[in-house]
Amino acid sequence: MSNAWMVVATREIVVRALNKGFLIGLAVTVAMIGGLIGFTSFMEGRTQSFDVAVVAGDESAATAVESAAADAASDDRKIELSVLTVDDTAAAEAALDDETADAWLSSGAATGTDGWTLSGWREPDPDLAQLIETTVRDQVLAGRAADAGTSMKALTVGSEVETERLDGNPVDPQIVFAAGFVLAFLFFVGAVGSGAMIAGSVIEEKQSRLVEIIATAVPLRQLLAGKIIGSSAIALAQNVLLGAVGLIGASFTDLSAILPAMTSTMLWFVVFFTVGFVAVAALYAVAGSLASRTEDLQYTTSPLMMLLMGVYVVTFSADGVFERVLSYIPPASIVSMPVRVLNGDALWWEPLVSLLILVVTTLGAVLLSERAYRGALMQTGGRVSWKSAMAAERGTTLGA
Amino acid sequence: MSDLEVRDLTRVFLSGGAPRRAVDGVSFTASSGLLTGFVGGNGAGKTTTMRMIMGVLAITSGEVRFDGAPVTRFDRREFGYMPEERGLYPKQPVLEQLVYLARLRGIAAPVARREVLEHLDRLGLADRAKEHVEKLSLGNQQRVQIVAAIMGQPKALVLDEPFSGLDPAAVDAMADLLREHTRRGVPVLFSSHQLDLVERLCERLVILGGGRVLANGAPDELRAQGVTRHRLVLSGDAGFVRGVPGVLAVDVDGPSALVEVHDDAAATRLLTAALERGSVREFSPVRPTLAQIYREVTA
Repeated sequence: MSNAWMVVATREIVVRALNKGFLIGLAVTVAMIGGLIGFTSFMEGRTQSFDVAVVAGDESAATAVESAAADAASDDRKIELSVLTVDDTAAAEAALDDETADAWLSSGAATGTDGWTLSGWREPDPDLAQLIETTVRDQVLAGRAADAGTSMKALTVGSEVETERLDGNPVDPQIVFAAGFVLAFLFFVGAVGSGAMIAGSVIEEKQSRLVEIIATAVPLRQLLAGKIIGSSAIALAQNVLLGAVGLIGASFTDLSAILPAMTSTMLWFVVFFTVGFVAVAALYAVAGSLASRTEDLQYTTSPLMMLLMGVYVVTFSADGVFERVLSYIPPASIVSMPVRVLNGDALWWEPLVSLLILVVTTLGAVLLSERAYRGALMQTGGRVSWKSAMAAERGTTLGA
Repeated sequence: MSDLEVRDLTRVFLSGGAPRRAVDGVSFTASSGLLTGFVGGNGAGKTTTMRMIMGVLAITSGEVRFDGAPVTRFDRREFGYMPEERGLYPKQPVLEQLVYLARLRGIAAPVARREVLEHLDRLGLADRAKEHVEKLSLGNQQRVQIVAAIMGQPKALVLDEPFSGLDPAAVDAMADLLREHTRRGVPVLFSSHQLDLVERLCERLVILGGGRVLANGAPDELRAQGVTRHRLVLSGDAGFVRGVPGVLAVDVDGPSALVEVHDDAAATRLLTAALERGSVREFSPVRPTLAQIYREVTA
């Protein structure tokens, strides 16, 4: 009898693992992560080549394009440039129109105007524009420096600004932001998906009165424990799988440098999520027991859905003091604390304290849920309120 | 033996402020080895009583006793129960979920599997064992549900409407199955609204109305409590019976009359008067049907 919860948990896991919808959803998510990483590394590794038109006779433009090409080749910018000399401005425009040239650089001399122009049929590619702009500026400044009897090198020496970070954390704030987004997403998908599953499995048993048969065989407490443990195991496995796919994928990209930091963040996230999900699962089980038909689930699960949605929206955009506060408040701490670990601004004891708060909150939520679940499960005919679920004398004698 | 006893069982629902006594001081015994039929209209309190017996619903007052002692969770664990709704897990194969339910009762998986297959075979469902429950007809779903209740040699059976939705052949098969359990000395309590069925099958009958027991006993005893009528068939016209003192003519049709005779003296008067007019072909008691008794007690 003591292992009845194991029988229940095993069934929950097997039923879920064989569920086509769940497997398809998981496969799609894995494919999306893989695709995103593949796309990123493709974009990073790709060399863009541009044909830049220059009107014949516009020597300074031709020189600028050639030195830009040399610059690009020397500092591994993955941009290739080639000069396309055309007869006149009309030919340059025609070349842009029929796409034989990607851009047209004019020093102003050819068009009789003052100043450089980089034209494209549409807006010129920003990487190209930036490269050309730098080269042209250097070329013009070098000319003026020579006129003034000095050199570019003499003018710019000592003007470089090096960036340095004293905390020694190599992680780019943009990556921290992206990680926050990814963790919030994993939390939301895992919690809502597995939560909906547990609520559905509770109402399935309640609606068919199967729970009455089960309740005479095992204490309801064990039934609930089995359900929570089973669906937590599934949610955990799902997050470990997605996290592993993400980390392995990241090792093929430029992110591989910060892989150790990301791995420890992921581990913290898995620990926090596992503890926090137990509370989410327990509350979803109550939501299921408050319904009396599957159709009622929409209403009974909506407060939880709002809470999880709120965590999702708030955590990935939070920063500063707000993020520090969130990193101690369950369930937001499930996302915010691991992000702070990645950010490098959490002291070693901070995740532990936050985890302790989460554990205590989870215990409270489970005890509360266990009572409400037992109280609501045998009340049939319409939706049950939390209040009447907690009023023990209206519930069942089973469970303890 | 191990009787299932219900004493003064009461359940008050507090919905909407005004307390409602759904079950009001119900007492009866489902004796071991007997089929006890639980009869009553909608809202009579049958399901509520059964849920309290199974401990699924809290008891407001009164008690349930099994084998001479207050029922425990461990007793109930070995009761077979069929709740009012059907369905089980609609999207799970028949065999798999019956084995699951058996394992929850503490039966080892291989034993459970063997027993479930045996029961399915007997009920003609052996070839459906791998199908999802929702794919089965309602009658077959009912059979699967009864297997869930009778697995593992239960010590008592509490069945809410086990015969509803079954065709006559299936009713007989189900009745045979239940008799097997009463032969083992197990009390079987089942509810039904099909009076003819209950009359045919049950050794004991409990009629419930408005949350109270209206009648309780063996069908023959209950019939005996009703006023017995007599059929009188004469060679000539029977119209004269209307004038005999102490005799109530219920129906007169040519030479035949249905009468209620209030005492022996009135019977003698009636027969004497009949013989004066010719020969008496038939004078026999007409036993009331349960349907009549049911109408009398619930009226």
